[in-house]
Amino acid sequence: MSPLFLLSFVIFAPAVGALLLAFFPKEKGDAIKIFTLLVTLVTFLATLYMALPADGDAESGKFSFAEENVAEIQNVVSLPWIDTTAFRMDYLLGVDGVSFPLVLLTTFISLLSMGASWNIEKHVKAYCILFLLLETGILGVFLSLDLFLFYVFWEVMLLPMYFLIGIWGGPRREYAAIKFFLYTLVGGVMMLIAVLMLYFASDIRELTPDQLAAAQVELPEQETDSPVHTFNILALQQLGQHTGQFSHELLAGKSLQWWAFLLLFLGFVIKVPSVPVHTWLPDAHVEAPTPISMILAGVLLKLGGYGIIRLCYPICPEAGYQLAWFVCLLGVVSMVYGAFAALAQKDFKRLVAYSSVSHMGYVVLGMGVWSATAGNLYDADAWKMGMNGAMFQMIAHGISSAGMFFMVGIVYDRVHHRNLDEFGGLFGRMPVFSGIAVGIFFAGMGLPGLCGFIGEVFVTLSVWTYSKALAVITASVVILTAAYILWTLQRVYLGPAYKGPHGEALTPITPRELAIAAPLLAMAIVFGVYPMAVFNYMAPAVNRTVDDMAAWAQRTQAGAPAPETANITPPVSLAAMETPSLRDTDQNMQD
Amino acid sequence: MNPESVLPALLGLAWLLPLASFAIIVLLGRRLGKEGVLASYVATSAILSGFVLSAIAMLVWLGSAPAPEEHHEDESHASSTVDAPLVVRAQDAGEEHAAPVDAEHDDHAAEHGEEDHHAGHHAEPPRSYSGDWYLLGEFGDLRISIGYYVDALTVTMFCMVTFIATCIHFYAVGYMHDELHDVDDHEVTLEDGGHLHRRGRFHRFFQYLSLFCFSMLGIVIAGNIAMVFVFWELVGVCSYFLIGFYFERHSASCAANKAFIVNRVGDFGMIIGLMALWGSLGTFSFGDWTDSEGNQQAGIFSQVRPEENEYQLRTPDGMVRAAASEEVAQIVAETGDLEASETAIAEQIPEWRDGPEHYGYALLVIAGLGIFCGCVGKSAQFPLHVWLPDAMEGPTPVSALVHSATMVAAGVYLVGRFFPVFTPEVLLAIAYIGAITLFIAATIAIVATDIKRVLAYSTVSQLGYMMLALGIGGWVAGMFHLITHAFFKSLLFMGSGSVIHACHTNEMTKMGGLRHKMPWTAYTMLVGCLAIIGAGIPFVIGFSGYYSKDAIIEQALSFTNENPAHRILFLAAAGGAAITAFYMFRLWFMTFAGPPRDERVYEHAHESPKVMYLPLVVLSVFAIGVGWQLPGLPSLAGNTGLLEQARPAGTLANVEGGAWLPELTIPDEHLSHVKEIKIPATLIAFSTALGGVFFAAVFYGWRLLDPEDARRQFFPVHRFLLHKWWFDELYEIIFIRPAHVVARLAAGVDKNAFDRLIDGTATFVRGVSDQVDRSIDRPVVDGLANKLAQWTYSLGLGLRVAQTGSIRQYVMFIVVGTAALFLLVSFFWNPTWAGN
Repeated sequence: MSPLFLLSFVIFAPAVGALLLAFFPKEKGDAIKIFTLLVTLVTFLATLYMALPADGDAESGKFSFAEENVAEIQNVVSLPWIDTTAFRMDYLLGVDGVSFPLVLLTTFISLLSMGASWNIEKHVKAYCILFLLLETGILGVFLSLDLFLFYVFWEVMLLPMYFLIGIWGGPRREYAAIKFFLYTLVGGVMMLIAVLMLYFASDIRELTPDQLAAAQVELPEQETDSPVHTFNILALQQLGQHTGQFSHELLAGKSLQWWAFLLLFLGFVIKVPSVPVHTWLPDAHVEAPTPISMILAGVLLKLGGYGIIRLCYPICPEAGYQLAWFVCLLGVVSMVYGAFAALAQKDFKRLVAYSSVSHMGYVVLGMGVWSATAGNLYDADAWKMGMNGAMFQMIAHGISSAGMFFMVGIVYDRVHHRNLDEFGGLFGRMPVFSGIAVGIFFAGMGLPGLCGFIGEVFVTLSVWTYSKALAVITASVVILTAAYILWTLQRVYLGPAYKGPHGEALTPITPRELAIAAPLLAMAIVFGVYPMAVFNYMAPAVNRTVDDMAAWAQRTQAGAPAPETANITPPVSLAAMETPSLRDTDQNMQD
Repeated sequence: MNPESVLPALLGLAWLLPLASFAIIVLLGRRLGKEGVLASYVATSAILSGFVLSAIAMLVWLGSAPAPEEHHEDESHASSTVDAPLVVRAQDAGEEHAAPVDAEHDDHAAEHGEEDHHAGHHAEPPRSYSGDWYLLGEFGDLRISIGYYVDALTVTMFCMVTFIATCIHFYAVGYMHDELHDVDDHEVTLEDGGHLHRRGRFHRFFQYLSLFCFSMLGIVIAGNIAMVFVFWELVGVCSYFLIGFYFERHSASCAANKAFIVNRVGDFGMIIGLMALWGSLGTFSFGDWTDSEGNQQAGIFSQVRPEENEYQLRTPDGMVRAAASEEVAQIVAETGDLEASETAIAEQIPEWRDGPEHYGYALLVIAGLGIFCGCVGKSAQFPLHVWLPDAMEGPTPVSALVHSATMVAAGVYLVGRFFPVFTPEVLLAIAYIGAITLFIAATIAIVATDIKRVLAYSTVSQLGYMMLALGIGGWVAGMFHLITHAFFKSLLFMGSGSVIHACHTNEMTKMGGLRHKMPWTAYTMLVGCLAIIGAGIPFVIGFSGYYSKDAIIEQALSFTNENPAHRILFLAAAGGAAITAFYMFRLWFMTFAGPPRDERVYEHAHESPKVMYLPLVVLSVFAIGVGWQLPGLPSLAGNTGLLEQARPAGTLANVEGGAWLPELTIPDEHLSHVKEIKIPATLIAFSTALGGVFFAAVFYGWRLLDPEDARRQFFPVHRFLLHKWWFDELYEIIFIRPAHVVARLAAGVDKNAFDRLIDGTATFVRGVSDQVDRSIDRPVVDGLANKLAQWTYSLGLGLRVAQTGSIRQYVMFIVVGTAALFLLVSFFWNPTWAGN
């Protein structure tokens, strides 16, 4: 299968499914659900196919582990889309180790949360159509490499989510939906400003042929005197790292890339979400129906982290270098604040929502720990670990938080309340469910052998090199996390008897619910025991991104004259830019 | 047979078998036989096979010992000082033994100096095999793996853990028998006043037990400190499950939470230690390893104690470099080239390290203290000891296995394993924590009346002993006590379980005279009591505790001789021995001796079934003899013993102070076995223990004095001890409540600040829009439009006047209009319009 077909299929299969659903009669609720489930299944299988090793067949659309590809963007699809004199947008798609695990996560969680949607009875057809459109939007964001296309998908995703919360949500759904919408819209607008800033500052004529090739972009046939702007994310990355195009002063003594970084980062961090722009999340979660909470926590939050690693740092390395403290601080504050806030919650779902704030703090923190400084000879290994840990944490949190919300949903479906003080004794009533729930909550708590541990511990360990004070605060979060999770487990699952209303409805877990919960727990165990299953895909690309940053830092900060334009930048290939491995020499000297 | 591959395979298999058992029981659960009875078979056979494999590994280890080198000490010294061929590098500077006990010893030391003169280059780290099974993650040069590190300590611990676990599995089959059918839990009162009636959970108990065995063995076999941390957490969660086994009881679920969270506080410190190591050394591996390019990479131990420094502790290069990062940055800025800076830095490192600022030394201390923090949590040391007594909520086999013999000893094990990394300052901190713990716990044990709680505090106290031993340089003594304690303490716990099983109460105030009803239990417990107080005939033979406790007291005395300022450590050890003897025999007398205190309890009491008391008998054999030197077998401790083979390289020497505490001397452990120390230490230990037993007999055995009088006399002290020094209340006030306050504050800020702000903004925007609507939109914009419409309308109205319907008038309009048009056109006419 050609990459063009496969990638387009993955993105648009849900959208086509939604279109077909329009022809279904409204009253055939079950048929609609089954069809939607099939569409999500097919999409999942397509991404699973993409995960197979390509074995040198570049046109297969599978993931290539060949040494020259594994760290790079692969399966690139490039078609002209809009080409006017003022703007040029391409239909530019591709995957790499950064986006692919998230794509797989998206289709996986979509499949499971469609399964969790079975007890939606209201406007089933509209629900399913919106659900599928949402999936298309998310997959489009992960797969597009054109900044404008990225933005379009970003906004496409917004509207279905708004309706899914606003129509199928709980009592305060309108409030929650509007809050979600406005927050995300503000983020989107900031992003749009940054995108346009970058676009109009860019000029790909300054790139060397090697860089052009790496960026999958071509110069126009005839030479022009006017700058050739680009929305191509890869080209913008090359420009940001190798030219000074984004470095000129813009406002308040700060460079264009400083502002672009800040705007992009704020846009993404709203999505993550970090304190203090997180308050949409608890409301959205509390009001959203269970499957939508699963998608929201499992996948949507990851778009923020993805944006930071894909856009913020590679395009604006200098700003990233200057603002690393801000990024880290935001991460740590979210972790601590989210954990404390979770400790005080009385609503089960709200507690899980705050735990998401806390856990996603690790993601922001891990991405920010810029360890490649002169003080340790531009050794970026710790940052690699942080970045990888952050990416892994996104996957792990996708599994565990989706699972946690589903666990809450199962109880809510039975007793129709979420008051933590009115549970208790579920272990005796629903043993299998409780066993799975304890496993998934422990995965969230970061217990070794389950997925949450790897991401958290890798991020935590990486912080020391960046800042010892932040590292100590980071480490202290393990206590708070244990406290709120264990206290929750005690209040809900342990104890002699159930204390709340509708106790008679506490029936054992159904096979359908088991079919959704068990894979989540299984994945939590697999990723916790064998994280290389994820790192094999992820690490090379993440490491390359970090190496690029470290190489940039070394070029520009190590006392050597900073390259002003591409003319004096030697055409270095990416492999040659790797930081010399200093620890090796260290070791050898000892031997 | 190549031990390098056989040992990891054997121990790895022994490690994984309980995991397999766990998986089987989780998946099949109650379907394993009637009500899951087969689960016990699965779990027991797994751990029994594990023991067999460990025993084989032990034989392989012993069989593969390298031939003794030709550097035997002079035979005449063998009994008193150093005679271990494997540790011939004893002191590299015998002359420097500043304060040897007497002249005779001076001679010894001098001879050692000579001895070492030619033995020095044979100094080598203990025999160990390390390697990786698989990677958890790899980033540049940083890698975290699941691997193994096998040395004599590993093998010994494997044998100990699997053996005791096997005994306890058998015992638990009997003890947990009630769980095979429906259970009425009399400790849980429901809202309707009745007791909880629930289904038995026999299989679940064995499921957790298997997971625990797997995790515990994982700690022991771990090849790196990160893997230790992984299994550290896993034993923690097993402990959580097992303490909370009766999760319907509020006290049990609270105790489980407390155990886990308090342990997490320790883990917080441990993570800081891990970060300090990771951020500067770049490896977690204990042993050296080979990277993918075939280069030999130094593990933690050889970075901290490099061969070229004769295995003596020094701040590793990585830590020096990390601490001197500003200087490094400056060098980079000056040279501008990384290769050149690298060389310049390498030249600078010794200067930085040994200079007055001791670059990196603080990191080494933080790493040591951090790791020790984890051990403080796990081994229930002051100030994190509060969780262990509460953990007695779990079923008694759990207390015997997890909370006395193995898991809580894991902290001590880790201190022993990580011993090479601890600086003298850290060791001193460990010693003081150990001494404080052993004293506090022992005092509380005096007044406790719950039989399991007495044992729990006794465990805390004994763990304090081990920590103290390690802190004052008694590596073998500490590890030895860990092993012997495991046997006699699990024996004591299982005995107490047998008593509880018979009496259905934990309160010793309701027992008494039970030795007539349950002789097996009574006398095996007596063996346990004698072992824990270190009973023996001085200098001849004794119970296992006699050897290990004396080794600790000897080392403490030796340490005090070197450092009179820290005399309190020795006093704590000696005083603790007396208190131990007192409360242990108080326990035994109260339970088994004298007339029964509660006739009803006594009537119902009965000896436990064979499956329960046979393990007691087996364990008491070990509690007696595990410290003996049997012909044909190596002894555990002693200068030639098994544990000595695992002694970290470079730790057998007087350590003359660290960078911050130069006066401190950590004495060579072998020097504590010289006559001049051994004799007084043994006598002190013996007399203190005897005194303790005597007082216990006076109060509880012969009942010459009434403990009630003493209680009244020392009322404030008694109350203070009964409330466990008020630790729980203190922590409630200084930690738990503030945490909840902060939590509510955070949630409140969310609701009242952030959300107010957002909602306020929304309200404001809506207000503005309303205002715009009202003041601009409607009056101006709408007004304008309406005005326009109005004008049009009135114009129309006005024009209606012209609509008369009269033809003549219309013709008039047309004519006038046309004429007016012509007039206009001719006025503006441009000839080009006509096309010309």
